[in-house]
Amino acid sequence: MTAQRFFPIAVITLLLLALANLMFGAVSLSVEEVWKGLYASSENHFTIYEYRLPRIFLAILVGAGLALSGALVQGVIRNPLASPDVLGVGHGAGLAAVCYMTFFSEASTRWLPEVALAGGILAALVLWYLCGARSSAIKLAITGVALAALWASCIDFLMLTKPLEINNALLWLTGSLWGRGWAQLQALLPWFVLIPLALGLSKYLNLLDLGDDSAISLGARPQHLRLLALAIAVALTAACVSICGPIGFLGLVAPHLTRKLVGGRHQPLLPATMLTGACLLLAADLAARTLDPPIELPAGILTAIIGAPYFLWLLLRMK
Amino acid sequence: MLISTFKQLGLLLCSVLLATNVHAVTVEDSKGSFSLDYAPQRIVVLEFSFADALAAVGVAPVGIADDKDKNRVLPEVRDIIGDWQSVGTRSQPSLEVIASLKPDLIIADISRHEAVYDDLKKIAPTLILPSRRETYSDNLKAAAIIGKIVGKEQAMQERLALHRDKMANMAKQLPSQATVQFGVARADALFLHTADSYAGGVIQALGMQTPQSDRDDSAYRQTSLEQLLAINPNYFIVGHYTQPSIVDKWQSEPLWQVLQAVQNKHIYSVNPNVWSRCRGIMAAEHMAKDLLTIFNKP
Repeated sequence: MTAQRFFPIAVITLLLLALANLMFGAVSLSVEEVWKGLYASSENHFTIYEYRLPRIFLAILVGAGLALSGALVQGVIRNPLASPDVLGVGHGAGLAAVCYMTFFSEASTRWLPEVALAGGILAALVLWYLCGARSSAIKLAITGVALAALWASCIDFLMLTKPLEINNALLWLTGSLWGRGWAQLQALLPWFVLIPLALGLSKYLNLLDLGDDSAISLGARPQHLRLLALAIAVALTAACVSICGPIGFLGLVAPHLTRKLVGGRHQPLLPATMLTGACLLLAADLAARTLDPPIELPAGILTAIIGAPYFLWLLLRMK
Repeated sequence: MLISTFKQLGLLLCSVLLATNVHAVTVEDSKGSFSLDYAPQRIVVLEFSFADALAAVGVAPVGIADDKDKNRVLPEVRDIIGDWQSVGTRSQPSLEVIASLKPDLIIADISRHEAVYDDLKKIAPTLILPSRRETYSDNLKAAAIIGKIVGKEQAMQERLALHRDKMANMAKQLPSQATVQFGVARADALFLHTADSYAGGVIQALGMQTPQSDRDDSAYRQTSLEQLLAINPNYFIVGHYTQPSIVDKWQSEPLWQVLQAVQNKHIYSVNPNVWSRCRGIMAAEHMAKDLLTIFNKP
């Protein structure tokens, strides 16, 4: 599929999914009821305007943000199997959140996003401190994976020693859009000024694909570029994770799938991967709400169900 | 004509004022002061303990977060409140289903639902109280608050007095020196409910002992067979979430035979749902009856 055909199809899919998200759920509504629900006079006002609508915007933003940071990391590390997870940002945020909920069990969940955000960025800073600015992509990836494993084991340790205090944390760690609304959307939105910046890097990321030597001879500065691209990826991931919890596999699957569809040039790849990510998360959240109503599954479980087999299939293919 | 209209209006105003005065109640919940100026008719509760409190004064909620399994609600409570609509899991109740029920009061758990407190308030006035991890006495306090807010303060006080009488009566028929330990067994882990837990509180309220241990006391604690032996209770009461559970697997281990509860054949199994998930006036009485049956076995 070419980029020309991908974009219209993806945008239409996105709109259809958004409409489906508005209509279906534990209570199914007609298009007319959905439209009326946007006004305060409707009896469905809460369901549509306060509940489903902000959730849709969040799913789109978080899906796009995680997918874009995945594409950036894959571009920088030059490995299609890399994802923001190799930077340990998600696990760092998770550890901060779990610590917060364990040791300050009286504390309000109100501050959870800020704590998680700080944890994610701190994890990235630790990685940067350990690797230095001039390290190779491979060193960065391996150190990142090791650190991620360290954070993950700290989370496990806390969960084992303080089992039931951690129930809320467990819920957050699966990644979910449940109970998120306009307030969270407002907190997330400022981070998306980074998107034009990321898209502006497309041309240089293409050069990076040729290898550092070629990139330098073509006028790029790989060290700076890597740092900038990774910093954007870290900030976007940390912001998304702080709101919804780590939504697994999205940052890996979305860019990879898109690369298969539109090719590896970053100019079409970056915006396309954002669309794919948004569609995937919208679909996952729709499934999470409609599979077994009124039970709401965490969207993170759904993306993992889609993502894990895809990942395995990729591994088998790469042999 | 005009005068009679005025009279009617005045009468109407008086009755409205009277009605609001009768029902205007203010209580302290986990977020501060909460007032309601009407007697709620459509109540949604997001934990079993709240359903228990409502049932205790004969009020039926329209929706319960029952994990989509009606059997999780205590049978005694089910008998009183009749049918209800499930609003999903207790950990992530479906806000759209709650909204579709058009409640005039929501009772939520501070431990589970604080993150959606603002959303719940947009649907209906929300009373937020402790439920998960609450103690026996916390639960009775929460029940008193719920009684007051649904306009049944008198009935609730009477029910609580009756409850204390019932518990005191049953306590007389139970051995006061015995140490009783309750735990829930999953396939791979045993969680003991310690002195600070709800079940521990019920055991103490019945005049029996709960084992003390030297470790810092969290209400629910994962425990190995060795640690269980260190506690070595007289009576060990297990709720098996799955069968065979880890406790069943332990029975072939040599250490198991050293437990005094095993040697005296004082291991009993109870319904884990009632003992671990349900809390409340009727749940406590149900648990007390379970204990009476256990201790009065020939």
